Amino acid sequence: MTVETAPKKRTMVKALNEALDLGMEVFPEMFLIGEDIGEMGGDFGVTRKLWAKFGEERVRDTPLSEAAIIGACVGSAMVGMRPVAEIMFADFLGECYDQIVNNAAKLRYMFDGQFRASLVIRTACGGGFGGGPHHSQSVEGWFLNVPGLVIVAPSNPADAKGLLLASIESDDPVLFLEHKALYRSKGAVPEGYYTTPLGSAVVAREGSDVTVVTSMRMVPMALEAAELLAVEGVSVEVIDLRTIRPYDADTIVGSVRRTRRAVVANEAPGIGGLGSELSARISQDCFHELLGPVVRVDGLDTPIPFSDELEHLILPDTDQVVAAIRNAMAQPERGAR
Amino acid sequence: MNEPTLSSLYRDMWLIRAFEQGLETEFAKGNVPGMLHTGLGQEATQAALAAHLDATDSYFPDHRCHGVNALAQERHRGGGRRIMAELFGRSTGVCSGKGGSLHSADPLAGNFGNNAIEGSYMATVLGVALAAKMRGEAKVACAIIGDGTVGRGEFHESLNMSAIWELPTLYACVNNGYAIYTPVGKGHASADIVDLARGYGFRCEQVDGNDIVAAHEAVGRAFEHIRGGGGPFFLEFKTWRWQGVFSGEFRPAEEVEYWRKDHDAILMAGDRLRQMGWTDEHLAEVESEAHATISDWIDFAKESPMPDPAKATSDVYVGFEVSGS
Repeated sequence: MTVETAPKKRTMVKALNEALDLGMEVFPEMFLIGEDIGEMGGDFGVTRKLWAKFGEERVRDTPLSEAAIIGACVGSAMVGMRPVAEIMFADFLGECYDQIVNNAAKLRYMFDGQFRASLVIRTACGGGFGGGPHHSQSVEGWFLNVPGLVIVAPSNPADAKGLLLASIESDDPVLFLEHKALYRSKGAVPEGYYTTPLGSAVVAREGSDVTVVTSMRMVPMALEAAELLAVEGVSVEVIDLRTIRPYDADTIVGSVRRTRRAVVANEAPGIGGLGSELSARISQDCFHELLGPVVRVDGLDTPIPFSDELEHLILPDTDQVVAAIRNAMAQPERGAR
Repeated sequence: MNEPTLSSLYRDMWLIRAFEQGLETEFAKGNVPGMLHTGLGQEATQAALAAHLDATDSYFPDHRCHGVNALAQERHRGGGRRIMAELFGRSTGVCSGKGGSLHSADPLAGNFGNNAIEGSYMATVLGVALAAKMRGEAKVACAIIGDGTVGRGEFHESLNMSAIWELPTLYACVNNGYAIYTPVGKGHASADIVDLARGYGFRCEQVDGNDIVAAHEAVGRAFEHIRGGGGPFFLEFKTWRWQGVFSGEFRPAEEVEYWRKDHDAILMAGDRLRQMGWTDEHLAEVESEAHATISDWIDFAKESPMPDPAKATSDVYVGFEVSGS
C-alpha cells in the first residue's frame, strides 16, 4: 500500500469513483457496463465523469437486461477482459441470478480451470431510505452458499476504494455490495492506487469483553454502540468482515476465544443467512471458550415496507446492538450456573 | 458442392452418428454416467457448423452437440477421443471429467462450453462477441441453441443486445421440432423460429438442416457476413432428433418414418455421392471406418484412469483455497 499524501475526507461514492478511474487507467482490458452508467454517471453517481474520460466503448450503457449485462461480463472475462458491471439495485440480481450462480461462479470449476471469471458486479443494497420492498434488500444470504463467488462488503470509503481495486485485480468473480446508506458517509481516503486484501476482516475497534462481528452499515452502528458502552466500562471489540465470502474465520474465532462473548449483527433477515453461518461457526469453534450463547441482531423476518414508520421497525439500529451487547455481557459464567 | 467437400462432410456426419450410437450402446450397458442427449438425426447441422468454425472462433455448444465438439477437438487439437473420455467422466476428458456431456469445453478448440441451463449462454456469448468487437478481431462468436431456448428471456435479451451493438454473433438455432416433449408450435408464437428473430432487424435465414449442402452453404454465408463486419446473423436449421423421451417414442409413426428414412441427412448425402459416382461399397467403407474410430475412442475412454480425487476441490477459486467446515 502506497500513501502519497495525507488522506483527504471523501464520500464512499467518490472513493468508489476513484477506484474505477484508477482501474480503468491501469487495466486496458477493463470496461464498465450497466444501466445509465455512461453520460448520466450511474443512479448514485459512482461512475460520474468516466464516460467523458474513457468513452462509450469502455463505459457502456445497456438496456434493462440484467442477464445480458452479466452474461456479457462472463463471456468477455472468458476471453481475458476484466469487466465491472453495475446492477443498479441489488434487488435486481434475481434477473441475473443464473449468470452469477451457474456461470460466473462455476465456470472455472466445471471447465477444469480453463477459464477465469475475472469480473466484478457492483450493486447498491440495503435499506433505511424508504426504498420499499424492491429497492432495499440485503441480498448476501441469496449468494452465501455459492462456491466460487467472492462477496465483498465495505463499511467505509477507504476500504471501499481498496477493496474495489482488489476486486478488479482478482481473477475470481466478485459480488461487490455497496450499502446505499453509506454512499454519502465520509472518511479519510488515501490518494493513489492501493488495494485492501480480499478475504481479510479488520478489527475496527479493539476490546476485551465482547466481540461484535458485523459488516457494512452495521459497522458504524457497532462502533457507536461500543463508544456508548465504554462509558459503562464495557470493552467492545468490533470486527468488520469486509469480505463476506470467503469470510475471515481466523480473525473472528481468534477474537471470540479471547473475549469469550460474541454478538453477530446483520441487517438481513436472520434465517439462513450470514448471521446463521457466523453464529454457527463461532458456536462450533469457540464452544469451550464461550461464556454464553452467541447473541444475534438481525432484520425482522419480513419484506422491507415503504413507510419510514414501518421500515424502522424492521431494520436493526444502534439501540439493538447496545441491547445485544448488554445481553451478551449478562450471561452468567458457566461454572456459576 | 464438389465431391471432396461433400465426401469430407459425409465422413464427418458418419463420425457423429457412430459417436452417438456407440455412446448409446455404452450408456445402455451402464458404462456412461448421468444422462444422455444425443445428436442423432442432426448430424448435418453439426457437420456444417464444425466445417466453418476455426479454432480462433468461439462457439457455445447445445445439449446435443457431442458431434461438433468431437469434430472441433479432432480438427484443432488432434484428440476427438478426449470428448468421449469426458462423457465417461475420466481424467483424460477435456475437463478432466468435471463437466461431462453438458459441460465440455476446450477454448483452444474454440469450444467455450455448453451449459445445462438452456439459454444461459445466450447471454454469455454476448461477452465473447463484445470482446472481439472491442479488440477488432474478425472472429465469430456462435451460440448453438435448440428451439426450446427461444422460451428463455436471455434469448431475447441477447438478440436485442447483439442488434444494438452490431456484434459478430451467430445464432445457430437447431429446431428439431420439440423441446423435450413440447412441440415447437405449442411452445412458441411461431413454429418457424426465424420469424421471431426477424424483429431484431439483422440478417436471418432458415435452411433445411438435413440437407448437408444447403446447411453447409448457409453457414458459409453466415460466417462471411459476420467476418465481413456485417453484424449478427440468425440461422435456423429445420431438423429432427431421433431420440424420444425417457419413456420412449412419442411422435407419430409417419413422422418418424419421414425423418429417419425419407429425409435422413446421411442417406440423402449418400444419394448425392452415388450420383457423383460413389459405389455402395465405398459408402459402406466410410460407415465402418467411422465405427472403428469410435470403437477406439470408447476403448480409450474406458481404459483411462478416473480423475484424481484432488480435482474434487480444485479450481473453485483462483485466489482462495476451499475451506473445510
